[in-house]
Amino acid sequence: MSILEYNGGCVLAMAGKECVAIASDKRLGVQLTTVAMDANRIFRMHDKLYLGLTGLMTDIQTLDQLFRFKLELYAMRENRLMKPKTFASLVSSTLYSKRFAPYFSEPVIAGLDKDNKPYICSMDLLGCVAEETEFVVAGTCAESLFGTCETFYKKDLEPDELFETVSQALLAALDRDCISGWGAVVHIITKDGVQTKELDGRMD
Amino acid sequence: MTPIQPEWTSTEHSMGTSIMAVAFDGGVVMGADSRTTTGSYIANRVSDKITPMHDKIYCCRSGSAADTQIISDYVRHYLSMHAIELSEEPDVATAAKIFRTFCYYNKGQLMAGIIVAGYDDKKGGQVFTIPLGGALVQQPFAIGGSGSSYIYGFCDSNYKEGMTKEECITFVKNALSLAMARDGSSGGVIRLVIIDKSGSSREFHPGNKLPEFWQG
Amino acid sequence: MNTPESARGGFCFENAIRNSVLSANGYKAPTARKTGTTIAGVVFEGGVVLGADTRATSGATVFEKNCQKIHYIADNIMCCGAGTAADTEHTTQLIASKIWLHALATRRKPRVATALSMLKHMLFRYQGYVSAALVLGGVDFHGPHLYTVYPHGSTDRLPYVSMGSGSLAAMAVFEANYKDGLTLEDAKQLVYEGISGGIFNDLGSGGNVDLCIITADGQELIRGYAKENERKYRRPGGYKFPSGTTPVVPGSEKFKEQSKDFALVTEQDGMDVSA
Repeated sequence: MSILEYNGGCVLAMAGKECVAIASDKRLGVQLTTVAMDANRIFRMHDKLYLGLTGLMTDIQTLDQLFRFKLELYAMRENRLMKPKTFASLVSSTLYSKRFAPYFSEPVIAGLDKDNKPYICSMDLLGCVAEETEFVVAGTCAESLFGTCETFYKKDLEPDELFETVSQALLAALDRDCISGWGAVVHIITKDGVQTKELDGRMD
Repeated sequence: MTPIQPEWTSTEHSMGTSIMAVAFDGGVVMGADSRTTTGSYIANRVSDKITPMHDKIYCCRSGSAADTQIISDYVRHYLSMHAIELSEEPDVATAAKIFRTFCYYNKGQLMAGIIVAGYDDKKGGQVFTIPLGGALVQQPFAIGGSGSSYIYGFCDSNYKEGMTKEECITFVKNALSLAMARDGSSGGVIRLVIIDKSGSSREFHPGNKLPEFWQG
Repeated sequence: MNTPESARGGFCFENAIRNSVLSANGYKAPTARKTGTTIAGVVFEGGVVLGADTRATSGATVFEKNCQKIHYIADNIMCCGAGTAADTEHTTQLIASKIWLHALATRRKPRVATALSMLKHMLFRYQGYVSAALVLGGVDFHGPHLYTVYPHGSTDRLPYVSMGSGSLAAMAVFEANYKDGLTLEDAKQLVYEGISGGIFNDLGSGGNVDLCIITADGQELIRGYAKENERKYRRPGGYKFPSGTTPVVPGSEKFKEQSKDFALVTEQDGMDVSA
């Protein structure tokens, strides 16, 4: 078994019109035993930048702390917030600096840049950035998520439509993965604020 | 390894090789095939394995392409520095000893079999061979690489002391043709470098015009 | 002396012991994203043409359908990468920045051979563990140059080259059709045919054909020179889920307004590096 599948879980991000969504499941397991149903794997970096982390939960939490630390230093030093693209480079080089002894986590980044243009990207555990314009996925049901997103995605969705599309794509994929699920959470980032909703998913 | 990553994509780039050098009175003839392989794929069919170290000193490389390229880069650097300090042309033995030092002190990490040959005014044409462990041996002629094992007998019976330059060229061409015909990891063209007092010159023999005397 | 590991430069191995214990206990280290790739290059009379497919894979899953495998080194030098995607990306980025600093220090335009020896020395130092297989091309003071660089640090200089899992398909096309003294149009066509050979005959390669033309006058990167694998089955109008389709946990909705504390970017966006 791959260590990326030890705790289970997945993350999905999708771009809309001047908005972006990032969503994940809420299960934390130890292999096939579920130990928590309120696990958090999406982290707020700042109001317009969210980071989703899949893989080994211990590394997810370590990386969240590390990136929050780096971002706070940046904000104090520069007196401004980090652009999503800059943050992607930061994550990428941090992961690659551990090229031969990596953290077991595949990140997903979603945010709005200065013109409120959506920015999404995913990475492998060594920090290879894959920037996309439509959607990015990571985690134990990435393959299923690719399938649902490929069919459900539409260009320039408004925040409400984006929420429904992302939720449906995520829930459909979760149903085909034993080690993801037990509810889900969706964040819709817009220029006015971040709307967070929890989904009523299957509990089996 | 997943099926979409064939074996040769990650195999080391190596030179299953036939290389050779012969000294004659007043110079040397060096020869090599031109095949570089990664696993069973020919990555380069026209490679140049005879690498200049100085105006009248060359080396023939066999083993790992990466290792021998890096070593010869370093030796070329040290040899040119040495030549500038000396204000004269370096000895062939000096070049060979720098090679030996690299090969011996890093023998655990290197895969390099090298023949160093050339001309200097003190001792004329000379051939040195540095096999895998990092020994240094001077010989009247030297053969190396995977193809050499097929031609030891031919070389021992056909080498004569006091051959002329032209005789040496024919000897090298014939020996390499035999090795390339039998050794799967040698092939392509024959490249020759001829070095004497006046400098160096090259000869190129394409793969479809190699000696075929042995085919009867 | 007591420099923290993060400030010392080079790779960090602080997770190495933990990771080796995990793998000794049967938790296999995951595989990194690969570019099962076709990359190639051809020299023509006034420059070089580089080409690449656009597929990135993880195992047998296509993770990116349109990734860019032609990397920037300098305005007159580009580099195609195959192998572990993170390695090719970061290796070329590192060399690009070293080349830029070198150009500033020497006040000369970068040369292809300089980039080549930086690449080969770095890859040799890592003994093949940084698995980047590269096609390096560019035009400098000495004219057009085309090289391949293998993960162990060996290099070849040739008039036409290919790399990656689709290199056999591309090389078959080149060996059949290459001639000396190609024109720009012929060279573009040849590279396109070579990459197409990889896209259609190698399962690890796919997507579009990217080309990059470098001449003494500059370079032109053509993303999607040929798009022969566009999606053909998108449902007209797409799927629409009316508001309220997805059941939301009652009382879980939260809305956080954007704070106005910091600007995302201030007016000074880039550093001034002009002479």
